[in-house]
Amino acid sequence: MATQSATGPETAVNQRTLSIFTGRRGRTLKEVVLAYVLITPAFLIIFTFGIFPLAFSVYQSTLRGLNKIVGTYDGLGNYTKAIGNLAYVLGFWMAVIFLFLAVNALIKQTHVTKKYEERPWLFTIPGIVLAVGTALFVRFVYIILPEVLGISESLRAAKQAGSEETTAVLFKGFLAEIWQKPDIQRPFWTAVIIFLIAFALIYIFLRLLPRSPRNSSYIATFFQSTLLIIGALFLGWFTLTEVQAAYTAAAESGETLEIWTQTITISAGLVLLLLSWFIWRSANHQDSTAGTFIRLGAGSLLIIGAWVLIGELPAAALSGDDDWYLGLLNTVYYSVGSIPIQFAVSLMLATFLFQDIKGKSFFRMIFFLPYITPAVGAAASFRILFSGRVDAPINRIITAFGFEPLAWLNGSTGIFQMIAGDGVTLPTWAAGPSLSLVVIILFGVWTFIGFNTVILLAGLGAIPHELYEAASIDGGNRWSQFRHITLPLLSPTIYFLTLWAVIGTFKAFNHIYVLRTGAALGTADTASIVIFDAMKRDTRYGYAAALAVLLLIIVMGLTVINNRIASKRVFYG
Amino acid sequence: MANIPVTTHAPETQLHPKSRRVDIGRIVIYIVLVFGGLLAIIPFLFSISVSLMNLTEATGGALLPSTPQWSNYIDAWNEASFGLYFWNSIKLALITVSGQVIFSTAAAYAFARIEFPGKNFLFALLLSTLILPEAVTWVPNFITVIWLDRITPFKWFNNWPALTIPFMSSAFSILLLRQFFQQIPEELWDSAQIDGAGHLRYLIRVVMPLSRAALVTIVLFNFIGSWNALAWPILVTQTPDWRPISYGLLSFLDEAGSLAHLRMAGAVITILPLILVYFFTQKEFTEGIATTGLKG
Amino acid sequence: MSKRNTTKWLMLLVLVLSLLLVACGGNNMANNEPAANQPAEEPMEEPAAEEPAAEEPAAEEPAAEEPAAEEPAAEEPAAEEPMMVDAEANGLSECVVATDGPLAGVDPSDVSIVWWYNHSGSREEQLLPLLDEFNNSNPCGITVEGQNQGSYNDIRDKVNSSTAAGELPAALVVGYQNDQAFYQLNNALADLNTYVGDATWGLGAAQDDFYASFFNQSIHPAFGGQRLGFPPNRSMEVMYYNQTWLEELGFDGPPTTPDEFKAMACAAAEANGDGTGGFILRDDASAVAAWTFAFGGDVLTEDGTHYNYSGPATVEAMTFLKGMLDDGCAYFFTEGYPNPEFAARRAIFAMGSSSGIPFYGGDVLTVAEENGTEPDNWGVTAIPHTTPEPVQNIYGGDIMITATTPEQQLAAWIFVKWFTTPEIQAQWDQISGYFPTRQATNEFLAGYFDENPQWAQAVDLLPYSYYEPQLISYQSTRDGAQEAFNAIMQGADAQATLDDLTQTANETQDELMSEIQ
Repeated sequence: MATQSATGPETAVNQRTLSIFTGRRGRTLKEVVLAYVLITPAFLIIFTFGIFPLAFSVYQSTLRGLNKIVGTYDGLGNYTKAIGNLAYVLGFWMAVIFLFLAVNALIKQTHVTKKYEERPWLFTIPGIVLAVGTALFVRFVYIILPEVLGISESLRAAKQAGSEETTAVLFKGFLAEIWQKPDIQRPFWTAVIIFLIAFALIYIFLRLLPRSPRNSSYIATFFQSTLLIIGALFLGWFTLTEVQAAYTAAAESGETLEIWTQTITISAGLVLLLLSWFIWRSANHQDSTAGTFIRLGAGSLLIIGAWVLIGELPAAALSGDDDWYLGLLNTVYYSVGSIPIQFAVSLMLATFLFQDIKGKSFFRMIFFLPYITPAVGAAASFRILFSGRVDAPINRIITAFGFEPLAWLNGSTGIFQMIAGDGVTLPTWAAGPSLSLVVIILFGVWTFIGFNTVILLAGLGAIPHELYEAASIDGGNRWSQFRHITLPLLSPTIYFLTLWAVIGTFKAFNHIYVLRTGAALGTADTASIVIFDAMKRDTRYGYAAALAVLLLIIVMGLTVINNRIASKRVFYG
Repeated sequence: MANIPVTTHAPETQLHPKSRRVDIGRIVIYIVLVFGGLLAIIPFLFSISVSLMNLTEATGGALLPSTPQWSNYIDAWNEASFGLYFWNSIKLALITVSGQVIFSTAAAYAFARIEFPGKNFLFALLLSTLILPEAVTWVPNFITVIWLDRITPFKWFNNWPALTIPFMSSAFSILLLRQFFQQIPEELWDSAQIDGAGHLRYLIRVVMPLSRAALVTIVLFNFIGSWNALAWPILVTQTPDWRPISYGLLSFLDEAGSLAHLRMAGAVITILPLILVYFFTQKEFTEGIATTGLKG
Repeated sequence: MSKRNTTKWLMLLVLVLSLLLVACGGNNMANNEPAANQPAEEPMEEPAAEEPAAEEPAAEEPAAEEPAAEEPAAEEPAAEEPMMVDAEANGLSECVVATDGPLAGVDPSDVSIVWWYNHSGSREEQLLPLLDEFNNSNPCGITVEGQNQGSYNDIRDKVNSSTAAGELPAALVVGYQNDQAFYQLNNALADLNTYVGDATWGLGAAQDDFYASFFNQSIHPAFGGQRLGFPPNRSMEVMYYNQTWLEELGFDGPPTTPDEFKAMACAAAEANGDGTGGFILRDDASAVAAWTFAFGGDVLTEDGTHYNYSGPATVEAMTFLKGMLDDGCAYFFTEGYPNPEFAARRAIFAMGSSSGIPFYGGDVLTVAEENGTEPDNWGVTAIPHTTPEPVQNIYGGDIMITATTPEQQLAAWIFVKWFTTPEIQAQWDQISGYFPTRQATNEFLAGYFDENPQWAQAVDLLPYSYYEPQLISYQSTRDGAQEAFNAIMQGADAQATLDDLTQTANETQDELMSEIQ
């Protein structure tokens, strides 16, 4: 859902493309059909291998079991195992976010309707019906999924019993059997009928109401908002049931739980933070004195909110999985450690390459080489270069300069801790990435510098050179040219690259897997490695799925934040 | 935004007409570039150097081989059946890339130029797959492939479909091509319509030829992706018939154990084709990057 | 414009053509293999990569347990009474159908089965003729087809994903003892007790010829005492030493006690003077177990249901190794297996699986050839021990029979039984470098012992065998043990770290066991 806002910048473009069609309404239907035909193959593939796995993971994350694809239902159990009571807080807040998105979409729509003086409110009816149909269909999928997955067991049983039929025939037989169950038929046909009604309604209302090129987008908004609200209600209800179940269980065993107090405190802290942010922003519209006071107020709210959060969050998260937290911390180190360096260096290289120099395409090719290298091959040579042996290549270089040899890939001590020396013992979160992780960061930087350089170079090429000429006539020096022309005009490129890089660091796997050593004591294992271990080594598929969903939520959150910042800072020339 | 693709080459010469003062700066630039270039290729040089050593040199940490042992390459090639894996990877990459070009272009065109209900929703859905960690998809996709094997007439598992079809379309390619298609001037579409051309003809006759650079870019990206695929091929291949090269390299790395020189020879063998592909496509690729949404 | 247009079209055409071509090629292949839908039955056309990996030291993931573990040197295999085992009786003379017992009426005739193994390269090339021999000679007309499926880990993935998708894995699968427990969570394996003890098909008296500890290693109390695997071969954690170098340094031969060991390693390290020369530390869980055994302890509690890494033996052993590291007499080499380092005289001692013997030998010869010197004389010995007799950590993968049809299972068993007859096992040991799992095999290995003195040295250590845990949580506990070892080497307090390890490992074990019930 969060990616909704990722498309934000594009909507403006869409609106413009849309205007082409205003004069040719007659062709719209034909076009729509063509569009669906064109996207169908791509969508089938992406849906089957990209979106279905997501739905599957969400389903599986509620199951528990070893080496069982269909384990036993455990509600939020996997999530509480990973992040403690924070899971409940997260559940409620996801529901709130869904609600917020729904309301936000409706409000945005009101602006559009006002602008064009249209009254599309009757479209709520088909929109809601369509959304209900979709929700029912999703429900159907989750009903049929375990049944279909259960075929595996029946199949093996049939084969162990020596069935002569081919697998395909058996499979189709079982599928038909499941299909004919009334428990499957009822939800399916309900969903189908509601869908049909929805399409009929859409058709009727489109004819009834005054024609407008925005009609379909009105329906889409109502559909989307309803779906979000349904999702929010479901999620809220689900979390609530889970909390109650936890309390019941605790009451039986005589423990006391603090889920509610924690939820309320953390929520209060978050609300305070949001409030302070809104107030801070509103200060921009005030004159200076009032603005200062408002800012002061916002600041104090921020401090209180942050204080509440700092006090309560660790308590709520306490019972979570330490390996998972370490994995997340390492991932953050990896992102924060590699992305800025990557950008600083590639921006420099790109600006240099952009000058009128000889061998430009040669250099570009050289810089790009690491990106196209298979990670396994390159990691194999990094493993030797950065070995912890005293006489490993990199150690020989640094000893030649009079430094002590380092443990590199075998190093588990945080670098800040190393700098601080043995006298001080820093807490885990302050010790910094281990040397082993630093090598992995270096690998990431090495791989992506060329990629970034090539793309930044392209971005530089798109800046009209008249601007530079004008600037040099105005007497701007190189730096001010860079600061006032290059950077702003490059900001869309940088925005794209950061987003891509952040996502990339959260997904990174291959080279870390090859480069991690036992001696690093897990300090090089990022979140995706922890997920991998949960799945492959421990065969806890449900838990791995839950971790993956959490990672997805984090990445989505980061994408939204990135978009927020970008909408402020990115200059779309 | 909607201007004709700008190439990177235009402005350079005019930028710095003055000569004297720039020369010092230029030397610094060259030094930095050469230094950066060295850092970029040192791991390669190291790999190549080690791959030509004998066991004593590779173990003793020599810098350069005294006499290059070219036979290491032959040994590595023979031991890991690189020949078969090479051919497999080339076939797989070609199939994947062909699919990408056809399917992603079609979808990207629809997203770029046609208005249809649910467009934004579908596009957002598409984008959400960009951030899906690969590990999440393994188990579900394995099951899907096995099921497809049973309910479709052709064989997926341990065959090329399982290794290529899931990658024949991606949100990334669609995003990239869509951005590019959106930049094609409206006037072209208007005049195409005056000529009586529909969307399909316009797409094939005008848009695709104009998008050569963008297409080459996705070809390159997907070629790299297909060449580097590892975890998924391990799951869905059972015999070497369709096993790709990276699988071959990985098992070779495991098996050659500590023989660093053979390991490095294997790595170099695997990297070379990608370098060749990049070498031949780099002009279009550079232009493609310059003109697609990648730059913002 | 039009010319560019044509080019684009051509390009597209070529792409589509290549797609079609390859697609057709793929389909043809599928058509040629009628059984293609059943991955298990696909013919193996070409050996995959040569993969001595399995033989390489660290590649062995041992996991073994002797729950009723008596004192270490319990079974004396090369002992007296050379049991007369009739190879014929142990193999198969005629194909009959049992009339009573659990296998009554099961007819294994003309059944085809597939075996997923990790053997590749030259080892597989020599294994295939063995399989042919079985296929041509067995009276039931059973056909066994071998398929290399990559490493042990790859095979585990394949079995798990096959189960998830409702496919039957191959009838025969190789894997470790702790894998068996995971597979059995899905009832994916056959209980071999049925076959071992069967009146018609069972082992009969030959059962006693197997080293009892190997033989009982795959009995799983957690699964009602089912026997989920069968031992075709084993390997051992050994100490490699460079005899020539030891003599140059003034020592007679390999060490037996830790103190001797340290003195020798330090002398060699001093000789090299650059941080190398001594002993290459091995951070694998099997090494942790091996050192614990050698210091007279165990990593399991007495009842065999939980871990105990915090005993005095483990602490002492770790402290001893840490001392060697601190004194510069030992170092880490983490880039790969240590055999080239050992061959290049960068280490006088290295520790690892006995299946690495051929590679150590090969590397020593190569180095000598490259430098134009005489190859060093080297050997393998027991891990230096404080116990009077050595206690050696022994491990190795099993063959498992998966739960398929009764006919397939029986056919698979008939093959396993044949494959472990002394004569065939002796052939297999010579091909693979693994150790026999029964005494009678030694008779057929006399010549091989002479040619491979190091291997013979290692076989002599077989009587001193002891075993690692096969608890269901051992896969993740192995990682934990490795981490603990490294933490101690990096300066963490040995006792505290090992206490932590024990506690975490036992928590995981309890958690996993609660999933089973």
